[in-house]
Amino acid sequence: MQTEIYRAFRNFVAEQGVIFYYNGYLSQPIVAAIGEALRGKLEAEDASGKATRKVFSTFVEMMQNIIHYADGAEALSGTATPFGNVAVGRLGERYYIVSGNSVANSHVERLKSRLDALRAMSSEEIRAEYRRKLRTEERDDNSKGAGLGFLTVAREASEPIEYFFEPYPGLGETLSFFTLKATV
Amino acid sequence: MEDLYIAPERDKPEIDFKFSQHHLVLRGESFPENAVSFYAPVVAALMNYLGRTHDTDITVDFELRYFNSSSTKILLNVFRMLDQASSNHNRVHVNWRHDPDDDTVLEFGNDIASDFITLKYQAVPVPA
Repeated sequence: MQTEIYRAFRNFVAEQGVIFYYNGYLSQPIVAAIGEALRGKLEAEDASGKATRKVFSTFVEMMQNIIHYADGAEALSGTATPFGNVAVGRLGERYYIVSGNSVANSHVERLKSRLDALRAMSSEEIRAEYRRKLRTEERDDNSKGAGLGFLTVAREASEPIEYFFEPYPGLGETLSFFTLKATV
Repeated sequence: MEDLYIAPERDKPEIDFKFSQHHLVLRGESFPENAVSFYAPVVAALMNYLGRTHDTDITVDFELRYFNSSSTKILLNVFRMLDQASSNHNRVHVNWRHDPDDDTVLEFGNDIASDFITLKYQAVPVPA
């Protein structure tokens, strides 16, 4: 990267209020370490305890989602280690958390329908659905967690969660790139 | 039976189950990569203890700063097991210690306690 480009990059990051950005392999120790750094940084910025907790919770759910569900690691890197990216930032009074990872095309429709359903719910409906889902024993076969990850992200958010899918560059026949954003 | 102690880690809570004193403590952060496997021995020891305990006052202190979604489901199951222990004439006292500033943790404790009415549940504010 040329130094002028790096300067433009830094300016862009500042304009967008980016507090933290990571792109790379994801594992539980990385999530725990980044989470701790993120908390420290938010506390140093005088974020409220509530905002810090919501950002941290959303960050953990998004990252563990990637660790559990990201597809295509072998095809993309030759190893089975999942990878993805995440940005946390602040614009005005709100914090945003955006994550990105690859998913198999075969999962895209199912994910879209779950996310669209969450987007259509009011915060009361999200809380009610969370309470219901917590108490049911149902598990879908693709769920390695409790199936509460997206619901938790939606519950912490102050606006509907946003997402998009796009064909993965060069591997679009099998993989999509999934971007998920929450504002707290 | 033997007490169970598991030291805390950055993403795992301290488990201090003094079965010999009927005092169980779960404290810290809970977001292990695989909550089911982390809690399996904890839940097994608890089940074993509750199965052999009757006519006893049991105190359980929860003091969790954060728990992720998969830990949440397990906490609900732990509450259910404690509730069922009342059928052996145990009195189970649950102290739900929470940061007074943290509505999510407080609401979760109050909400699940309302499902399990035999528990002598108390929310205890503990400033961070």
